[in-house]
Parts: sequence; structure tokens; C-alpha cells
Amino acid sequence: MRCVWAVPRRARVWHQPSRLVRLLLAALAALVLAAPAAACKPQASQAYLETRLVCITCHTTLDESDSPFAVEMKTEIARQIKACRTNSQIIDSMVAEFGPSVLSTPQTHGFDLIAWVLPLGGILLGATALGFGALRWRAVRATASEDRAQSAGLTPEDERRVDEELNRFDD
Amino acid sequence: MMRAVRAVAVASVLALLGLLVWDLAHQNGPGVAVKVDKGKIVPAPKLDLPLLTGAGRLSLASLRGKVVVVNFWQSSCYPCKLEARDVAAASRAWNAKRRDVVFLGVNAQDLKGPAHAYLKRYGVDYTNVRDALGSTWPKWGVTAVPETFFIDRRGRVVPPHITGQASRAQIDDGIRRALDG
Repeated sequence: MRCVWAVPRRARVWHQPSRLVRLLLAALAALVLAAPAAACKPQASQAYLETRLVCITCHTTLDESDSPFAVEMKTEIARQIKACRTNSQIIDSMVAEFGPSVLSTPQTHGFDLIAWVLPLGGILLGATALGFGALRWRAVRATASEDRAQSAGLTPEDERRVDEELNRFDD
Repeated sequence: MMRAVRAVAVASVLALLGLLVWDLAHQNGPGVAVKVDKGKIVPAPKLDLPLLTGAGRLSLASLRGKVVVVNFWQSSCYPCKLEARDVAAASRAWNAKRRDVVFLGVNAQDLKGPAHAYLKRYGVDYTNVRDALGSTWPKWGVTAVPETFFIDRRGRVVPPHITGQASRAQIDDGIRRALDG
């Protein structure tokens, strides 16, 4: 019967590196296993997402709601953040589940774009209308003052009569 | 120019009025729940939703000729959890007895992940559909979950309408009344 300690000294020299190799392999395996965890650095922000998404049962943003469903959504967001999903990926997943109504603000494409464009269009339309109104008012005012100036001017006949009256007054 | 502006303004006002009329015309009443609670028998509102598990849709109309127990639930709702095992047990028992009694779960305003976990945890093995935004609630008159309705073979909602946790006895009674209808 032989045991390790019965191995001659020369042979044991070969066993020592194998232990080292085993240690190295274990370290390498630990590194390989730890790599994905180290590579996964959460980037999304829970606070940001809670302002971008609404609780569909109470229709307020998640940061303002503590309803059971809002709590469930927050938990789901936290889970996805932990899984290193980005803000936009998490938002997309919620939109895929509930549609665009889960967003606190309308999207900037498709039909929702109207919500952004319409107020801007309204402001532009209002500004244009105001500009036209101002120009029109100015033109009307200019014509009126011209008329007034014309009506205020004396005809040669009137001037002659005024001069005559003044001369008579001087005398 | 002024004539065009006036025309646009009038058109805008008319469009807004039209929108208001459309909205008023499409507003839901109190839903069938109120009528059923008064003892009335009313046609079941349309229910055509995607399946909660797997692909495809299910329409309530496709179940005409059978008594259907419609149960609205959410995975985060405590009374739903309390009744879940009883409802599932009732489903299995009735399924073993008769083929013309089916159960249909309507998962509303819920996340898919927790909803799937709920089905697994409480052994809910009957068909469930998903109403992500709870759009069916107004027509049915659902105000909170759980709520259970009984549809007779002719596609009508018959009393009783169970609000809150349903007991096994209530479910059995509801099915019997629907079968008699």
C-alpha cells in the first residue's frame, strides 16, 4: 500500500507544481465567474425612470405613487436595473407591456409627436396672427393720421381769410 | 386673409365640439355590474383579449353555449390571492363534472412576470387573458379586483356578481344559477 508520503522526495517535487496549477486554475475560474458580475455595472437610474413612467392604475408618475401596482412596477424596474439594462431598454420593456400610455410624457415620434408639435404650431400661428394684426393696425393708423393731417391743413382760401382777420386785428 | 382666419377659427371650434360630442357618446355607463347587482340579466360586454400565457387571443363570444365564470384579478391584490386556490379548485371540480362550464381569468393592469408567477404559485390552470390597461373594466363595471361574473349559455351575465374574495360555495351557486338560466 502506498500513500503520498511514501512517494520519494524526487517524485514529490513534481506534485508541488500540480498543487500550484490547481490553485491557479481555481483563481482563474473565480475570475471567469466573477467577470460578468464585474462587467455588469448598473447604468439606469431608478429615480429618473420613476419620473418617466406612470402607474397605470392611478395615472400618476411612479415617484408620486405608493399604490400596490406602483410598488410592483418599482420592484420590476429595480430588478431590470440590477440586470444592467439601460434606461431606454427598461422604458421600452414597459411600453411593450402596457403601450405608450405608461409614459409620463408623449413620445417624440408617430402620432404622439402631435402633442409636441401642436403647441409649437399654436404659438407660431398666434405670433403670425399677432404680427399681421400689428402690421394692419399700423397701416390703418398711418392712413388715419394722414387723413387727419389733410383735414387739419388750411386751404389757400382759408389762409387768405385768416391773414385778413389777423391784419384787421393788428389794426 | 381675414376671411380665411375666420374660417379656420370656425372650423377649429366645430372640430372641438365634434370631439366633445364623440366623447360624450362613447362614455360608458356604470357597466353591467350595477344592473346585475339589481337582479337583472344583461348581455355580456365584448371581451376579446390576448392570452396571458402563450400567443393568440380569446373572445368570450367563442365560448357561447357554455357557462363561463369570468374572474377579474391582479397579482398584487391580496383578496385575489386569498380566493385564487378556491377558484382554481372549483374550476378543476366543474371541469371534471361537465364540459359546458369553463373558467376565464382576466388579468388586468398587471406586469406579466408577477402574473405568471401568481398562476404558478396558486395552481391556476384555467385560461387567462391579459387586459394590460384594464380597458374592459368600465363596460363590465369592475371597480376593484377581484370580481367574478357568471355568463349563461346564451352569453348573458346573470346574478350573482361577486365583489371581493369569492368562496367556493358562492362560485358553485353562481354556476348553478347560470346553468338554470
